[in-house]
This record gives sequence, C-alpha cells and structure tokens, in this order.
Amino acid sequence: MEHMTLCIDISKCTACRACQVACKNWNQLKAEQTQNRGTHENPPDLSANTWNRIVFMETRLADGKIDWAFFNDRCRHCEDPRCMEGAESLPEAIVRDDSGAVIFTEKTRELDFDDVASSCPYGIPRKDDVSGRIVKCTLCVDRITHGLKPACVQACSTGSLNFGPRKEMLRFVEARVKALGAEANVYPDPMEDYNTLWILPLNSKHYPLAQAMPIPRRHRMAKTRMPMAVGVAALAAAGLMHFRERGLHDPHRKQGETNR
Amino acid sequence: MTNHWIDIRNSDYILAMGSNPVKNHPISFKWIMKAIEKGATLISVDPRYTRTSRKAQVYAPLRSGSDIAFLGGMIHYLLENKLYFETYVREYTNASFLIHPDFMLPGDNQGVFSGLKGTETTEGFIDGKYDKATWAYQRDDKGNILKDKTLQDPHCVFQLLKKHFSRYNLEIVSSITGTPPDKLLAVYATYAKSGAPDKSGTVLYAMGWTQHTVGTQNIRAMSIIQLLLGNMGVAGGGVNALRGESNVQGSTDHGLLFHILPGYLKTPKAGQETFAAYNTANTPQSADPLSANWWRNYPKYSASLLREFYGQEVALEEAYRYLPKIDAGVDYSWLTIFDLLYQEKFKGFFAWGQNPACSGANCNKGRQALTKLDWLVNVNLFDNETASFWRGPGMDPKQIKTEVFMLPCAASYEKEGSLSNSGRWMQWRYKAVDPPGKALPDADIVNALFQRIRALYKAKKGVFAEPILKLRWEYGPKDAAGKVTHIDPHRVAKEINGYFLEDKVINGKLYNRGTLVPGFTSLADDGSTSCGNWLYCNSYTQEGNMSARKNKDDPSGIGLYPGWAWSWPMNRRILYNRASVDLDGKPWQPEKPVIEWHLNVWKGDVADGGWPPLASGEKSRYPFITQTEGHGHIFGPGLADGPFPEHYEPLESPMEKNLLSAQFISPVLKRFDRSTTSDVNLRASHDPRYPLVCTTYRVTEHWQTGVMTRWQPWLAELEPGMFVEISSELAAEKGIKTGEIVIVKSARGQLEAVAMVTVRWAPFTIAGKTIHQVGIPYHYGWVTTAERKYAANDKKPQVFTFGDSANIVTPNIGDANTMIPESKVFMVDVVKKA
Repeated sequence: MEHMTLCIDISKCTACRACQVACKNWNQLKAEQTQNRGTHENPPDLSANTWNRIVFMETRLADGKIDWAFFNDRCRHCEDPRCMEGAESLPEAIVRDDSGAVIFTEKTRELDFDDVASSCPYGIPRKDDVSGRIVKCTLCVDRITHGLKPACVQACSTGSLNFGPRKEMLRFVEARVKALGAEANVYPDPMEDYNTLWILPLNSKHYPLAQAMPIPRRHRMAKTRMPMAVGVAALAAAGLMHFRERGLHDPHRKQGETNR
Repeated sequence: MTNHWIDIRNSDYILAMGSNPVKNHPISFKWIMKAIEKGATLISVDPRYTRTSRKAQVYAPLRSGSDIAFLGGMIHYLLENKLYFETYVREYTNASFLIHPDFMLPGDNQGVFSGLKGTETTEGFIDGKYDKATWAYQRDDKGNILKDKTLQDPHCVFQLLKKHFSRYNLEIVSSITGTPPDKLLAVYATYAKSGAPDKSGTVLYAMGWTQHTVGTQNIRAMSIIQLLLGNMGVAGGGVNALRGESNVQGSTDHGLLFHILPGYLKTPKAGQETFAAYNTANTPQSADPLSANWWRNYPKYSASLLREFYGQEVALEEAYRYLPKIDAGVDYSWLTIFDLLYQEKFKGFFAWGQNPACSGANCNKGRQALTKLDWLVNVNLFDNETASFWRGPGMDPKQIKTEVFMLPCAASYEKEGSLSNSGRWMQWRYKAVDPPGKALPDADIVNALFQRIRALYKAKKGVFAEPILKLRWEYGPKDAAGKVTHIDPHRVAKEINGYFLEDKVINGKLYNRGTLVPGFTSLADDGSTSCGNWLYCNSYTQEGNMSARKNKDDPSGIGLYPGWAWSWPMNRRILYNRASVDLDGKPWQPEKPVIEWHLNVWKGDVADGGWPPLASGEKSRYPFITQTEGHGHIFGPGLADGPFPEHYEPLESPMEKNLLSAQFISPVLKRFDRSTTSDVNLRASHDPRYPLVCTTYRVTEHWQTGVMTRWQPWLAELEPGMFVEISSELAAEKGIKTGEIVIVKSARGQLEAVAMVTVRWAPFTIAGKTIHQVGIPYHYGWVTTAERKYAANDKKPQVFTFGDSANIVTPNIGDANTMIPESKVFMVDVVKKA
C-alpha cells in the first residue's frame, strides 16, 4: 500500500473531541469511568481504551490575552519506531506497515510491557489487561487499507485532521506552516521521521510539548540494529524530552494559571 | 435564521454574542472558518473567554444581563459617527416614519416608555402594562403613515432612536457591562465596517440572548443594528438564531407553543366568537398600495388550516367553534403551567420527549409540583428525573400519590419523517433501524391515544364531543373498521402541504380536486383548499417530496443549493432578499448577489415576491413584506416592553441600582416571587448572601438535560459531571482549588459541583466595584449518578455522571414577551464543601 501520513492542524482544532468518540466507536473501545478534575480534559491519560485524546492547555499571557491550546495526543507512527527496540525479543510482534502505520500485533502479549513502554519516547504504549496485548493507535490500518480515512479524520468537521499520501501531506504541511506565519512549525522535528505530524501555529512552547528535544535521528538505511547499550545511551541523551513528554500523561497535573 | 448555515461563509463580519457556536454548534464553525479564510473577522462577545473567543480575532467580555447596554452603545456609536447605510435606512426601514407626538422615551419618563400603568415602588414600576396608544405612527386622514425622508423631524423614528441611545455613551455602557472602553470600541468599530454597501455582517445568537427577562429586546437591539448597517436580506447577513435542538425550528413552525397554531397563526381568544371576528383581529390592514402586507392573506391560511383539521363536511364557522380558545391575558407558558400545577390546579400531565424535573427553571419547585399530580405519562427513550421524580433526592415515595406511566418511543434514527433545521430547511430522514422492544414512533403513540379517546367519546358522549368526533384523521392506512392503524409520515407531510378540494383554474392552469397545492399563493379563504401549515405549502407537491431532494448544484455560487432539501417559505433560502438590491434591483453586493432584476425577472434565490424593483413604481412592493408597512422595524411598536430596547437589570442583579434610570428591572414582568406561592419563588437581588453573578451553558458532548447523552458512555466519559467555572482570582479569594467539590447556592436551592478554576474568566469592574461571575453547565441529573439507589431492574449507566440539574438554582421568571426563563443570569454563592 502507498505510504500515508496523518496531519493534525492545531490551528483548526476546536476540541469538539469527535475524534476521541470516533476512535472508540470504530475500535469498540470501552468508556472509562472518569471524573471532572477541574478541566474539560478527559479521560485523564491515554489508556488501553483511549488511543487518542485532546490535551487542553490554558495560560494568561503577560499582555492579559488568553492562550488556549488543544493538542491531540497519540502515536507518532515513527518511520524508525523506537518501540520496536522493546520488541527485540520477538521482532514480529511490532511491525511497520507499508502504509506507515506502526502496528502492535497480537504477539505483543508475549512482550515485556515495560520494555516496550520505556522504549517509546512519547509514552504511548498501554497494556490491555483484558486481552494481554500492548495497544495504541493503529492509524486505523483496517480502514486505510480499504481506502477509507482513519475514523478520527472522518469525524473531524473542521479540517484539523488530515490524511493522505505522504508526499501530498508533506506538501500540505509546508503550505499550511507558510500560511500560518513566522512562528508556525511542524512537530515532531524533523518531519521526515514521522507519519503523524502536527502543525503548530505558535512556537512549540505554547503547547504541552514545551522544550521538547529532538530525538536523535537514527539511520534506518543502515539496517544494523544498535546494540542495546547504545540504545540505552541514546535514550539517556533524549532523557529530558522523554521526561517532559511523559509529563503529558501525568494525571496529577496541576491546573490553574498554566493549566497543563 | 433569516439566512442559513452555509450562508455564514459569505459573511465579512461575524458577531457571535449570546452564543458559543464553536462549542455548541460545532459544525457551524466549518462555515465560520470558510468565511475567515476569505478574510472575514470573527468577533466574540461573552462573559468568559470561550472556544469561540479562542477562534475570534476580536474578543470582548461583558457581564451577563448587560447585552442591551452593550448593543445600545453600538447603536449610539453608529449614529454618532454616521456609519449606518443611509439609503437602506431611509428606503427600507421605518426610520422616516413619524410617531405620535405624545410618545415619550425612558430618558424623559422615569426609565419607562409612555403609556405604562403600574405600581410604583423603590425599584421603579412593577406589575405594569403598556397602553400603546402613544407608540402609534402618525397618519393622514386616509390612513397613510406620515414620513420625513430627510430623517430630521424630531418625531421621526430616526431622531427618536438617536435621542434614546444618546444616553448609551461609552462611559456608562462600560460601567454597566464591565467591558473596558477600548474593547467596546474595538467591537463597535469592527462591526460597523459591515455597513459598507458591499459588505455584510451576521449575528449568531442562541440562548445567551433569549434566556433573559429582556431576551426579546436583546434581539431587537441587534435587529436595529442589522437594519442600520443594511445587513438584512443580503448574503452573509441576517439575524440568525442558532437553535439548540435539531428540530426546534420545526416544532415552533408547527405550533408547539400555546399562543400559536401551525404557521404562526394565532391561537383564538375567548372574545373572538366568530371566524370572521378571529380573522379580522389577526389580519392587518395597510393603506399603502406599495406594501405587500403579506399577513393580509391570513384568512386564506386560517380557512385552509380548518379544512385540514375538519374537512369539507364541517362548515368553516363550525370548525372554528371547535378550536380551543384561550382567555385574553392568560398565559399558558411553561412557568405558569408549573405554578398552576404547584397550586394543584390540574391533575394529569404528559411529559412528552422532555424532562421538566431537570429542564424547568427553579426545578426544585417543579419537582415538588409533580408530587401534586394524580397521573404522569412520560414518553421518552430512557428513564429520567421526571419519570422517577418520586424517588429523587428529598422525596419519600410513600407520601407520593402520583401514578407514573412510561411509554418508550422511537429515537430519530428509528423512524421516518422530517425535521426543520435552524436555517428553515425541511429535511427528510429515513429509518435506519427498528425501535427496540415495544417502543413506537411518537406519532403512533398519538394515533393510539386518539383512537382510544375518540372511542370513549363515542361510547360515553362527553361534553363538547364534536371537536373530537369530527376531527379528520387521514394520516395512515386504515383497518376494516376505518381506524388508522399507523401513521404514514408521507401522508402527514402531504396534509401539511395541502390539497385542492375543488377543481380550480389558476393563471390558466387547471388543478384537479385532490391534487397537492403547488404553493401558498394558491390557498383560498372560501374553504376550497386545505393546508396544515401555510409556511410549508410547496414542500410536498405533485412533483414529489421536496424535502427529500439531494441535488448538490449551486448555480448561485453563494451556497443556496436550491435543489437540496426544501426551505420555507417557497424554497426561499434568504428571507427579505428584496432588501439585498437597490431601488433598481441591482445587488448592493455584486460579488455575492442573492437576487438581481434581469430582463424583467428576478434571478438568483426565490425572490420575496415577484414584483419589480421599487424604482418601477406602483407595480413594486417594499422589501419587508411580512411587516404591515413593508419596512424593517427600527421602531417596534408590537412588543410588550417597549418599541426600543432599554437596559434593565436582571431579576437578580449584583447592582444596587440601574445606572441608566430609576427603573431597576423591566416594569412589565410576571413576578412569581410576588405571588401566593412566593415561598418557592424566592428572589435575592443585590444580596450579600449571593454576591456572584451566575450563568448557565452547555457542553459539546451533552444534549439538553442529558437524557440521551448521559446514558451514552463515550460522551459521559468526556464530560462526566457538574462543574462550576470560576476565575483564578475568585478561587484565590475563597481558597478554592481546582478539582475540589464546592457548593453552588442561590435563594432557591443548592447543588454540588467540581470547581474548575480558570484564567479564561476575568473579574469585572462594574461601576468601580469588582464583580465576579461564575458559570455552570445545564445537562446533569441525579438518575445517572453513582450515589443513588438502583432497584434490581433499573438500567445502570456504564459511566456514572456526577451532580444534579443547574435549574435547581435558576429563577422562575420569564421574558416580558415570550416567558422564556431567565436562566442566563442570577445570583449565587460558591462555597467549599464542608
């Protein structure tokens, strides 16, 4: 199948959360017993039953203006998926599809969850205690391989979620960033390494990704896998980012002046 | 909506006020965004910084309940700076009309208009009623209205408008609204640009404007602005109510409310003893030959409606006698019904597709009122707080006599039929799945009920049985005994459209008896046609079901899509479109013409009447065809509370006095807090116990009282419970932390909520003092909570919600014209839970 990419234009998101509901509907994921924790954001974290969610962040800027960002968090579908490192004991458990989707197969049951979870710099994988599988966004591989858009994209009414052939999407991203002005940028960086891309209209410090460090680029062309020790060292180098991004998933996040 | 959803994309200036479309009408944002992409400016005016504010280029906060002051300031600004569209104002509005010389404005008359009779108190007048004699136009002896087209006469509407709103200067408006002057000016200056002839501005409003004691006047204020700026009738213009329910437009069109019959015909009054007297009372007269005065056709529509109800066998006069009459001056609105029920004035109640135990203002009173019923029938999809009121908080089932019947009904996807959206489109919907169990479409429940009632009348000969026995009931296939077995929505739709009851030749064309009427100009007052709703005449014709059309062509280029569904009236997509052209029929906005006079016909949308443009003289007609005088109402003499909007404080206000006049609240309100049941209708205004202004609103994820959405686990997990949004300043003052449970209390009740501390709600400075405002969502109720007791056969929600209805704290007071409750502003306190 053609190489595809999903692009999230933050400037068009209204936090209606149709994407969250559509994901649960298509993938038949259970609702969670949530509570209002003083924010509209819910469920509080990604989970075995929540594969994408909108993170809300509000700040009063120095000039009194309000900055209110909605960030749709989910799997980045890396070109060179770090989570596959955690599956080295059973390489076929996590596969990268031609479409660009990184897929956790049923064989993830046999993997050590901590290995997989700790290898992902974005804190995405979750253990489904019912099935025993490790789960996350599939890029709706069961839809896209039949010519459909992912369920979340189908449900998005504002054009915030976009999906298409990779080359087309990269052109789209560049055009949108240009249109949105000097501060606009693409996350993650460099965009060539990911199949889920975010268009950020403002500097990334305005989003719950503040000061994210770029992940050291791996050389996919050199097919040799890094020895484990090097991998760990690379992770350590990316430690700050790892920590920050995992901070996204802290259910005890403080609300208030900076409602992260 | 005078316009429609897609048309928002044609707008240059979009004012979202009294609404939060991005959150509550999410799909509307698609069209707002298309407008913004073409260069439009979105303005958001809201007490708190909302998701609409987030997407807007201009944002201004205001204290809830101060919209007339805010908009009055805009009218003042437009007039002072001569930013109005002069030709439009002179030719198409009643600005030039002369008003009775004795007419007095509130600025010269203790804060009220001339003609008020009421009781004077320290808060100004109460229990008032206006004698509108001085609100009349001056006329010559032939009945023609006197005008001054130079707009200079001190008695002309334009000069009165100028004088009235001269009191609404920036300083006083800012003191009342709490909006900083620079932000007022930013909104005024931006929106004023829509007054350029080739620019359009639209207003998107919702319950944020209607749910006030001055709700109608909020919308009147904006209507005046739209007329001053020439924004009515044009693409991307209009006054657009974003309706809160997918078919609420259809329900009002078809006469759901007590004061109207289908098509906005009036409910007969007790004094109107004959059909002729009824028609005379409701058919306006105009001496001006250039006024189409569309309602002159009233007798055609009322006669056709009676024919639909009772057929040709019953004479029109007799059929009229069968219609229920309401006593003059008595209102049967929601608040009054529940007040009467509380006083045990009636014994049975159908709660049909509604949940009054949560949806009614001051619902503690409403819940108590339900205990006075002998029987209650609840027609709904799920159990709700109304059906189970007898086991709700504070109720002792042993003490309650009411017998409750639950009739399960089909959801919209489980039946065929039409709905009418905010943009007046009637859209046909098909059944997707069968309803579960014994659930039936509502119409079939009505049918069964009607058959039983008629059989009882037949058998037992009730008092005044003819209206029931003779009612026509041709809405579905019949069994051998002649009884309709089930309702066929197509037959209903055809009855609504109407039939020829005799062979007729109209404009040389023969229409056979029994065929569908092609449009309401074919309806007759002599009983030769039937029509269930004249506005919907043309929706289901010999050509077929217009509302089921799915043609995606848009020859107009402005998104009219005339072959998609069907829009009332006569498939017209933009109302008052004759005001979108100049006197020669040339569009004010050549880039986005709605209609255009071309080779002696109107091109574009279905024109508001086929008459030639105004410059062609006596064959023409003025553009505002449903107004008796054909002109847009800058001066609106028909309302209960004044021909111009005037700022009054809400029933419950943080203010000690109205900064504009000695009249504190509107003088013509129905005051339940002063009635015999005043112990349950409490009011606390400017009361230190309740220092915080509170408003209510909705979230994207829930619908109405949440009866459908609270049971939907994917929605419940997104917004799982009652919250109160409070500013970080107020939270610091009260030591409240985000996420903790607090009590919100008003004079009428209290409820638990999770504190949502936010920087998006800044305190207001009102008349030099700091005033805090808070807000709570509407949707919750105790039936889906974890804390309640569940009986063995009770359905349990997969995701429990937290908290009870916002209406526990709202006041039961209604708008002076509509009786819509003032749910958008009242006084509360928020305290930490002990």
